[in-house]
Amino acid sequence: MNGYAGKILRVNLTRKKTFIIPTKNYEQWIGGHGMGSAIFWDLVKDKTIDGFNPANVVTIMTSPLCGTLAPAASARTEVQGIGVQSYPISWFTRSNFGGRFSSMLKYAGWDGIVIEGRADKPVWIDIRNEKVLIREAVQLWGLDTWKAQQKIWNEVMNSQEFNKWMKLRSEDKAERTTQKPAVLAIGPAGENLNRMACLIHDASNAAGQGGFGAVWGSKNLKAISVIGTGDVKVHDPKGLIQARLEQKKKYAFDMKNLKKNYMTTDFQSPPVPGLLFGFPPGSKRPKEGQRPQACIGCHSGCRARFASGLGNEASCFATVFYFAAKTLDIQRHACDLINKYGLNAVEMIYLLQYLKVLNSKRVLGPGGKIDCPLDFKGYGGLEFVERFVKMVAYRNDGLGNNHPFGDLIAEGTIRAAKKWGRLDEDLASGLLPFPFWGIPVHKEPISQLEWGYGSILGDRDINEHDFDWIKVDANIAKIYGAEPQATAEELVRIYTDKMEPFQGDRLMLDYSTQNMYSEHIAKLVAWHRYYTRFWKQSALFCDWRWPDFLNLQAPGKIGSTGVAEPRFLNAVTGRNLTFLDGIELGKKIWNLDHAIWTLQGRHRDMVHFAEYIYTKPSRGVEGPVLFLTGRKDGKWIYFNVLGRRMDKGKFEEFKTKFYKLQGWDTSSGYPKRSTLGSLGLDYVADELEENNKLGKE
Amino acid sequence: MGNKDEKTIKNENSGISRRRFLKLSKDMIVGIGAGGVLTNLVWVKKGIAAIPVSEGYLLVDFKKCQGCVSCMLACSLVHEGAANLSLSRIQIIQDSFEKWPDDVAIEQCRQCAEPACVEACPEGALTIDTKHGNVRRVCKTKCIGCMACVEACPFPPSRTIWNFQENHAQKCDLCVNAPFWEEKGGPDGKQACVEVCPVEAIKFVKETPSQKGEDGYKVNLRGPAWRLLGYPTD
Repeated sequence: MNGYAGKILRVNLTRKKTFIIPTKNYEQWIGGHGMGSAIFWDLVKDKTIDGFNPANVVTIMTSPLCGTLAPAASARTEVQGIGVQSYPISWFTRSNFGGRFSSMLKYAGWDGIVIEGRADKPVWIDIRNEKVLIREAVQLWGLDTWKAQQKIWNEVMNSQEFNKWMKLRSEDKAERTTQKPAVLAIGPAGENLNRMACLIHDASNAAGQGGFGAVWGSKNLKAISVIGTGDVKVHDPKGLIQARLEQKKKYAFDMKNLKKNYMTTDFQSPPVPGLLFGFPPGSKRPKEGQRPQACIGCHSGCRARFASGLGNEASCFATVFYFAAKTLDIQRHACDLINKYGLNAVEMIYLLQYLKVLNSKRVLGPGGKIDCPLDFKGYGGLEFVERFVKMVAYRNDGLGNNHPFGDLIAEGTIRAAKKWGRLDEDLASGLLPFPFWGIPVHKEPISQLEWGYGSILGDRDINEHDFDWIKVDANIAKIYGAEPQATAEELVRIYTDKMEPFQGDRLMLDYSTQNMYSEHIAKLVAWHRYYTRFWKQSALFCDWRWPDFLNLQAPGKIGSTGVAEPRFLNAVTGRNLTFLDGIELGKKIWNLDHAIWTLQGRHRDMVHFAEYIYTKPSRGVEGPVLFLTGRKDGKWIYFNVLGRRMDKGKFEEFKTKFYKLQGWDTSSGYPKRSTLGSLGLDYVADELEENNKLGKE
Repeated sequence: MGNKDEKTIKNENSGISRRRFLKLSKDMIVGIGAGGVLTNLVWVKKGIAAIPVSEGYLLVDFKKCQGCVSCMLACSLVHEGAANLSLSRIQIIQDSFEKWPDDVAIEQCRQCAEPACVEACPEGALTIDTKHGNVRRVCKTKCIGCMACVEACPFPPSRTIWNFQENHAQKCDLCVNAPFWEEKGGPDGKQACVEVCPVEAIKFVKETPSQKGEDGYKVNLRGPAWRLLGYPTD
């Protein structure tokens, strides 16, 4: 099958040996998450192990589209394994990053990397086409993620000048490239097993959630570098270039007729960086020379590089990590700090805010009940944030001295609060806005239902923006008195018409309180789980550019989703996969993941939000209003959702509806054999049965 | 055309509006003659020939490029039928940690008025394609893989590139021969890199750019729309 390199690299760090897994063994899953979950299932016999256990397997997977001309679908890499961030159980989880890594891996001849075991001392993995070496990382250990990458660049390319062709071997006619190796690295945070530690690639591509930086640190793995000069074979080259150019012409922004000049998380967005510098109260964009910066193959970059180099390639949460900075430059420095030290921007924001509130309550501070060496008088300054980041990354006082506070907060916010005896109280009051699995809030979960339900029914903050633009566009329209992209009725029609196999059920996008626990919303959540599991996380279409539901460039504002995704995948692979085939495969992958969580200890009784979600009215995470689609007097409108509560009893009823829709045991949430069998997962049912975790028929 | 007006460029290029005169040594005449490309040359007098200039050029704006390398992917796709950055005739080189605008370089073939690659080839495998607007091209069946043309290109990284898979040289042909694309290429057609570039950072022109330095080829393509998106245009 085209689009594949044909082999997956399996690295056993304990034995310092590498092996090859033939990709064809897992091609039925297409790529990315599907392959990762299937490989994890096969290789990890005891799925109840902790994320730090050497037997934990981390998969780093590409898709057939990686490295090709498929727009906004060429550059994502899916990372999976048992994480160390979530609570009370560190779920089998996923993260995902962009840039150049996945494409370079394909050019080197690999469809993915599987990491297992633990090296006896720090190592890095050096991949140059077919040649793979596990090398000592003594010179790299301790370096920040940027310095480590640059050192590896020079090492791999033997300090050759980067404006020339560089040969991968010494022979005159050897393979050559002008490209730098793509490196994925951990920083000091990962080395010190910080549960908020990320994997960082280039300046600011991060596999942020899950704490995979710490998992790598526990395996003594500092970095993976890859440089490749080979092909990604394409089944129908003519079809692919034609599809790309047509997609550009019909659905992408038009430089000669821009409909918008700001970034949107959809296909039609112009290439404007997704910066939140200065938020709140509003977005600030540095006034200096800059360019958009895009991942490989993307039609619309969502990052930027600047004349000062500050905040290069950063976007979204990374840029708002230190929103209280006294100056924009300090904020940009702070953004670079968390990338260099390799820390999860989202949790770092909420951790710092939590500490600040406790400090203002005189609970926390130098010599206080919670002895924290940070002096909050310096809050907003550069010195303060540098010390805070180092404290978290090095588990000390931020100045190089041992301190139990730094050691504890490196365990993450929830575990620190538990140690301080505050967890239940602060989750009940909402002082800790961590609605599910010990993960901080991102989108308001009682309002954006597919986000809230999808996260609690899964393993993490889903961070999938498929329906998020409904709110953003409606908010902009309401606040600034502008016209929304479409009327509520028009939008609901365009979206739901594409949501196979539930297409046409308009009530899937009725976010009103009377509908929020309904079968329709269960379908919305289910469709979202399936679409993202396959098209985004396995075929690896980018979350910020897909799906293409509503598109102002297109006739009737009807975007390309449903047609475009399979068109690109089939042009590359030669398959004849339909959009619905992908959704069905997404259902299978979602069920496989759910089976893994079940083996880890998941039961419906533990699937509940933090207490504040049931007791406190919803508040805006991103602003004072949150408009979504709903019905009033039989008419579709945009209405402000904020202020409502989640009803605990009705949420339980919703879970029953959702489990029923999934074909899971409604009393336990366990998968049923009949359901798994219908998906071709009998072997999964067997393992569940052996562990007394199979649902009742 | 960047910071230069057309008049300035015309002056710099005086004498090459249609042809570039080329002094050839006796050995080179023999070499070229043996290679069978005499038809490409217009003999002015003994030892001096004129090479017709290309009727098409790619200009780029490296300050605008978003580094997606779609141009490279398109180039290798339409020519090779596969995605391969190393076989792309246009090269984007970038550094995440560098400051704008030094973080990105776009290096495209200049279709030189005095093509060092053509002059260097001992086999006449590099030709001036008079049927297709004088585009400088490599005939891969004639190429013996000596790499003289690759080494002769004075612009790093060499714009005549080494196809290490098939052991021959290759270079930008402005998509004259793009077997995996339905569109007509060449100076009178379309070029895949131009068509695919999402931000219009590559432009095709017929006029010969200034041959001195890089200013003729590295130009400002940032217009009002670019300013509307919040980027500098000066």
